[in-house]
Amino acid sequence: MIEVERLHKRFGRVIAVNDLSFAVRPGHVTGFLGPNGAGKTTTMRVILGLDGPTSGAAHVNGRRYQGIIRPLHEVGSLLDASAVHGGRTAWFHLLSIAQSNGIGRRRVTEVLRLTGMESVARRRVKGFSLGMKQRLGIAAALLGDPPVLIFDEPVNGLDPEGVHWFRLLFKSLAAQGRTVFVSSHLMSEMAVTADHLIIVGRGRLLADMSMTDFIESNSRKDVLVRSPRGADLGDLLTSRGASVGSEADGALAVTGMDAPAIGDLALENGIAVHELTPRLASLEQAYLDITGDSVEYRTIATADAGQAG
Amino acid sequence: MRAMTADPVAAPVPALPARARDVLSSEWTKLRSLRSTYWTLLIASVTAIGGSTLSAVSAAHANSSPFDPVAGIFVGWLEYPVLAIGILGVLTFTAEYSSGQIRMTFAAVPQRLAVLAGKAGVLGAVTLIVGEVLAFVAFFLTQAILSGHGNAIALSQPGVLRAVLTGGLTLSLIALLGLGLGGLIRHTGGAVAALPAVLYLPLLVATLPAPWNDRIGRFTFLFAAYQEVTSRPAAHLFSPGISYVVLIAWPAAALAAAGFLLVRRDA
Repeated sequence: MIEVERLHKRFGRVIAVNDLSFAVRPGHVTGFLGPNGAGKTTTMRVILGLDGPTSGAAHVNGRRYQGIIRPLHEVGSLLDASAVHGGRTAWFHLLSIAQSNGIGRRRVTEVLRLTGMESVARRRVKGFSLGMKQRLGIAAALLGDPPVLIFDEPVNGLDPEGVHWFRLLFKSLAAQGRTVFVSSHLMSEMAVTADHLIIVGRGRLLADMSMTDFIESNSRKDVLVRSPRGADLGDLLTSRGASVGSEADGALAVTGMDAPAIGDLALENGIAVHELTPRLASLEQAYLDITGDSVEYRTIATADAGQAG
Repeated sequence: MRAMTADPVAAPVPALPARARDVLSSEWTKLRSLRSTYWTLLIASVTAIGGSTLSAVSAAHANSSPFDPVAGIFVGWLEYPVLAIGILGVLTFTAEYSSGQIRMTFAAVPQRLAVLAGKAGVLGAVTLIVGEVLAFVAFFLTQAILSGHGNAIALSQPGVLRAVLTGGLTLSLIALLGLGLGGLIRHTGGAVAALPAVLYLPLLVATLPAPWNDRIGRFTFLFAAYQEVTSRPAAHLFSPGISYVVLIAWPAAALAAAGFLLVRRDA
């Protein structure tokens, strides 16, 4: 269980986290979603006691992180897989972390096996690929067999196999009753991993809901209709209670009536239909709609595209 | 993976000795698992023994020069091995900051002063052992070279054993000074540049008009160290007894400042 209460964090004149409150519950994979610069990493650093909050607080299992003795037994974390001294072997890297929390060598061997790193245990970390470093980071996070796990952008830069491995790992950790808190800036990634979503933008909470609710409330459905007599068909559909929008190329975007009904109606009135496509707005689009105003850095081109759409 | 319950029972809080063992064993593992440790200690050893040997050889062959048989053991020590061993101290902190490892370290042990104490304890102990071994090797080596040339001394002579022990201690104190600078500055380049700036302060102070050169000079680390390893302490500097306070104050101040900032700054 992670609780963040009215958290503020300011770096000079930049407000990284602004009055953020949420709770992360056990037994689920909770996705922490937001554009780059939304304050995800800062929030995680405050949870882990690495950064001090400007005001507000973060608690893990009801306690401030800084007050926990041997915290790896309660919270495992991976913030930046590359943040490892390259001159040390994987074995010594993990051993030094384990010893600092009174964890024995047997567990070090065990997490190396769990993450498939046994064969490279005696190699220096600087020669590792990103994927291997990510696994090493996961091994470190699992050392204390903690009930709470925090991962910051864990699948960034991984190959598809690595991404798949991570997804299964998160799900199995949550299925064991653990609290799994995973940040990402990709909705597509969270859509297949997370049960719950916390969306932030510019340091503020934008949404805190279950994945099911998010899909329910955000997946707009419509039907794309092309017809040589588009205007007539549009009027007809409106008169029958559907709402009709128009696409940039003149096609109709119809909501409130499904594709078979639209087709039947067109046939009854002798109007030719050239295309009839049911569409589901992607979660990606829903996410972009929510965070659209809070993207910190954007290109002019995307801003224009946003206006056109 | 071990069995997990959704509501884990909080682990009993370990007693203080166990927690001290945690950080000490972790820092010991970190120190012994890096090549830079062996390189810096090797270079410190070679330059220390090399300086002592050359000093003794030249003293054995040039009887005319005034030779301090005690200080002669440590010729070059305050110029070369101190830098290598001081850089080892600097790296103990800054290598963690530059790699980002420090965040893992503080996530594992959020009590940051305990991390500082663990690093100081392990580094201090290792460099003290290395320093004392080097000091005694240097002593017996120089005496072996000097024997028969009239300049040899014995450990039993007044002040000699203390000088040899302090020669080794000085290396350890410099390592701790480097550790403190590393924790303060958090940047390898900055801290490595600061180390000689602090150590070789006497070179600047010596250019001050008298009596300020001595009045300020006696507070510098190197002059205080010199007072300990010579058979003829300079009268215008602090006595060997008070110079010990100066010697310990430098690394203590650096570590205290590092500790003060460590708990206040974001990692």
